[in-house]
Amino acid sequence: MTQQTRDEAGGLLPHDEFRAAGDAIVANIEQVIEGKTATVQLALAVLLAEGHLLIEDVPGVGKTKLAKALARSIDCSVRRIQFTPDLLPSDVTGVSVYNQETHDFEFRPGAVFANLVVGDEINRASPKTQSALLECMEERQVTVDGITYPLQTPFMVVATQNPIEMEGTYPLPEAQRDRFTARIAMGYPDSGAELAMLDGHGASDPLESLRPVSDASTVSRLITHVRQIHVADVVKQYAVDLVTATREAPDLRLGASPRATLQLLRTARAVAALEGRDYVLPDDLQVLAVPVLAHRIIPTADAQMARRTTDTIVSDLVHRLPLPQERRRTSYDTRPAANSSRAPYEPRRA
Amino acid sequence: MISHRNLGLVAAAATLLAAAPLSAIFDRWTWLVQSTIAVAVVAAVAALARLGRAPLWGQLLAMLGGLLLALTWLFPSGAELLGMLPTPATIGHFGALAEASLVDISTYRVKVPDTDPMLFLTVLGIGSVAVLVDLMAVGLRRPALAGLPMLAIYSVPVAIYVESVPPVPFIIGAAGYLWLLAADNVDRVRRFGRRFTGDGRGVDGWEASPLAATGRRLAAVGVAVAVLLPLAAPGMAGGLLDTLGPGTGEGSGAGRGATGQVNLFSALRGQLNQSETTDLAKVTTNDPSPSYLRFGTADQLRSDGFRPRSPRGPSVNREFSPTVPDREGITRARYQATVEVTESFNMPLLPVYADLAQIKLNGRWSFDTSQQVLFSNQERSSGKRYEFEYVRSTYSPTALRQARPLPAEHSLNWHTLTPKVPAVDALVDELTQGQRTEYDKVRAIYDHFSTENGFSYALSTEGGTSGAEIVDFLTNKVGFCQQYAAAMAWLVRAAGIPARVAFGFTTGNKTDGGAYVVTNRNLHTWTEVYFDGFGWVPFDATPAYGVPGAVRSDWAPDLEVKEEEAAPGPSATAGPAGSDSGTNQNQLEEGLEEELSGQPSGTDAPTNPGSSWLWWSIGALALLLLLTAPALQRSALRRRRRGSRMPSTGRAGVATGGVPSGNHRMVVLADTDRARADAHTAWDELLDTLVDFRQRIDGAETPRATASRLARDTFHADSEAASAVRLLGRAEELARYAQDPHPGEPLLPALRRVRAALVAGSNRRTRLLAKALPPSMLLRWRGAVADASARLVSSYGRFRAATLRWSPRRLLADRRSH
Repeated sequence: MTQQTRDEAGGLLPHDEFRAAGDAIVANIEQVIEGKTATVQLALAVLLAEGHLLIEDVPGVGKTKLAKALARSIDCSVRRIQFTPDLLPSDVTGVSVYNQETHDFEFRPGAVFANLVVGDEINRASPKTQSALLECMEERQVTVDGITYPLQTPFMVVATQNPIEMEGTYPLPEAQRDRFTARIAMGYPDSGAELAMLDGHGASDPLESLRPVSDASTVSRLITHVRQIHVADVVKQYAVDLVTATREAPDLRLGASPRATLQLLRTARAVAALEGRDYVLPDDLQVLAVPVLAHRIIPTADAQMARRTTDTIVSDLVHRLPLPQERRRTSYDTRPAANSSRAPYEPRRA
Repeated sequence: MISHRNLGLVAAAATLLAAAPLSAIFDRWTWLVQSTIAVAVVAAVAALARLGRAPLWGQLLAMLGGLLLALTWLFPSGAELLGMLPTPATIGHFGALAEASLVDISTYRVKVPDTDPMLFLTVLGIGSVAVLVDLMAVGLRRPALAGLPMLAIYSVPVAIYVESVPPVPFIIGAAGYLWLLAADNVDRVRRFGRRFTGDGRGVDGWEASPLAATGRRLAAVGVAVAVLLPLAAPGMAGGLLDTLGPGTGEGSGAGRGATGQVNLFSALRGQLNQSETTDLAKVTTNDPSPSYLRFGTADQLRSDGFRPRSPRGPSVNREFSPTVPDREGITRARYQATVEVTESFNMPLLPVYADLAQIKLNGRWSFDTSQQVLFSNQERSSGKRYEFEYVRSTYSPTALRQARPLPAEHSLNWHTLTPKVPAVDALVDELTQGQRTEYDKVRAIYDHFSTENGFSYALSTEGGTSGAEIVDFLTNKVGFCQQYAAAMAWLVRAAGIPARVAFGFTTGNKTDGGAYVVTNRNLHTWTEVYFDGFGWVPFDATPAYGVPGAVRSDWAPDLEVKEEEAAPGPSATAGPAGSDSGTNQNQLEEGLEEELSGQPSGTDAPTNPGSSWLWWSIGALALLLLLTAPALQRSALRRRRRGSRMPSTGRAGVATGGVPSGNHRMVVLADTDRARADAHTAWDELLDTLVDFRQRIDGAETPRATASRLARDTFHADSEAASAVRLLGRAEELARYAQDPHPGEPLLPALRRVRAALVAGSNRRTRLLAKALPPSMLLRWRGAVADASARLVSSYGRFRAATLRWSPRRLLADRRSH
């Protein structure tokens, strides 16, 4: 009973099957992206957690490649939007066009009508166009001319953006950022992985030869499985504690939203399932805190002056916040007083 | 300006309050009226000078001038202009008064009558102090310094009343000083303007100030420490408690070289403290068997004992007429003696042998012939060396029997006054029944204080319930010389014969040169009984074994050796009567007496070595318990945890453990709970062990992270321990977060393995501490204490908040702010 999970259809999805399916996707993507297992797993976890992914890094580290590899590994509809300053909202959502034959307006679906939408360089589009994604990302539907069109399931937006080159870009509005479940950075590959990349990518682009290892229905089953993962009350409490900590941290002008709490726990379920567990650990939350929370919060001017990024602020919080205890028991903390949990949110002076 | 005037008034009032101790010197209150006038004039002149913006030296001159005017008006020579303005004649008159006052000082004893020279001196002194106080408090704004001249007034009665200074006047003076300080500080605070709280509200009324609370607490702690510390210090036993208590006796004061005081109070209850021996005087005499040196008398009987009177008398440099008449039955011999008092004996009294006939003594010493006390109001005995001649009288019992009862109009009759204690009167009646002569009555009483009657010597008295200390002593029959002397004197007085208590020294140790050295152990008290026609005759009722250097006489023989020596007729006739009265008690307390006589007759307080040993061992045991408590508690905790764990944690093993199949689900649930509890117990034990072995524990770490950190950092060389700690972490993780908490492997061996690895990896000190004083237990105790104190603080805060609402001062502040 505990080793298996009942799926939505009533059939049993064996644990190993889940793990195999997940591992297959990860392994497939890794043919293209070398040495980034954790990042790839996190991207998959966001997919299984029904979230959207924001990949943020400098050019040339494989942001778009990861997005495309993920899309190709799953046999489902994939659309790609190259965000440019002259892109219009109707290009994203779709537009009603007058049909002379029928003498009526008919709806031409936009790029978001797919299982996987890859939005490249999302911050290059105007806020008007960026905002077109708001409804579809959160409510998984598009409303055009008063008519609402549901999107396909599963639906995931994978967006990339360049944080360094800000010339001619429009930073994502807060509401938009909050809709992305996680923001991940690719990071440079280590030297071994880069060598392997030189070998593999020398002759042909491995992306071309990438074959799907899964399909939309399998992903739907996996998503259903993820929803069943057990979360103990203390772990829920810990998630709430973490998010509350960001709201109370003196370094932060804006903390994380309740939506962030939901998405944090949902992603943690996916991570736990991908690791073959049927329960969520606080460790999962700790690992996910930075990717899930850091892009939603806004540091104070002081913290910015002190060159403290939201990543370091969140990881500091994680290191200081004591775990909630499920029962009254002696809890020890023999860390040095400077790092004590008595005042976990004290700003560190630079 | 207004505040200055206020402060000036306070300074004047404080000066007058500080003069309160002088009330102990003067017989009447004229001095106060005159001083008030002088101080008022000084204050008024100072206020006027300040009103005219006079500089400080101008104020000083004005005040001195005012004082001069006041003195002129109060002590006129008759040659003043307009009766007020001083002339050279006035100054001459003042000089004469000052000289005369010196004479008066040496002439009069307290309390002093109102003589012009004395009053002049007093008004001059207080007026000068008023000038100084005003100058310091108002002119210089240093009111704390003003305490010095005020203290100077207090030092006058201190110098005169050597033994004890009345405390009430000092308290009045201190209150005046505090008033001055407070007035000055209030004035300082007022200069800042109005007080405001943080939210801009004025605090004319009252506002709870945390600083004030701290001040009160500091004051309370300071007073408590000041009172308790001297009590705790053993060397200070002669301090406060003794002054308050009923007198600790001779030894306590005289033993100290620093004070050298002897408390001339013969108490009926008390304790003698003779921890050390100090030489007090060296006596050389040509008397072959000298009796007691004598320096004090106490003849004021209260219910708790005899107190001395102030001696009075003329200067000492003359021949004294003998107080003991020359008559048959009295043998008189004139001897000569030289006394050298050491620095350790420091009294306004000099020890001499009775009867003093002639003394060569420089300095201002006087002799009270009735008390036979050599005293001085100015000088002290320490370091004095003096020669004197005295007449030693010995009385034959036969002659003493001829003494008649004192006539009713005799001036010494007040020496027979006693407080009314029926039990004492009954005892006296019983003792003196059938005794015809005065001497026989006294002997009957004297004989009563014998070992036969159960009386014994001890350095401390025993408590009693009768309510009268005399009855307590007569019942307990335990005490030292003070009690014996006072009790006998009381009983003799109750029999209608004048009696008093004398203080002095026993003979002391004879040195090679023939001189006697008396120490504080020779300090002694005895009874003197007045026989008409004979004078004061000494009786020493204290058991002789308790008194080093005790001397007995024919008329008051040692009761212990009476049988052996077969005292001659007269005393023998008195003997049976005396012992008859105590026969019943005698037999009843025979056993007790044997016990007492078995004890060493030393001067040390009787201690019980057995009980002190017991207390020591109990204390050591308690200390040991306290020290081993953490270790014991820790091992008990470990045992309990080990006992609570299942021998096997295999799920199947428990599920099939003889449980009816119908209850299968419940069993699984119970088993789940059990496994969860086991994992938690194992994890708690692991954490405690880690704390014991000084491993870091992080409250923000998950069990998995803790386990992997330990496996990585601590057990990197010990793969078995690493996997054991990982197992424990996994078990705890499952128990906390998973639905199914079974780790599948037993935890107890893993726990043992981890502990063994920790023991092996730590140094000896850590191992020893983990065993003897487990840090985990200490941490737990600390946490408990912190929790308790936090609860206490919060409940006190609630209580305070609740009571503050009803504080009248707060209500007042609220009303003002509206």
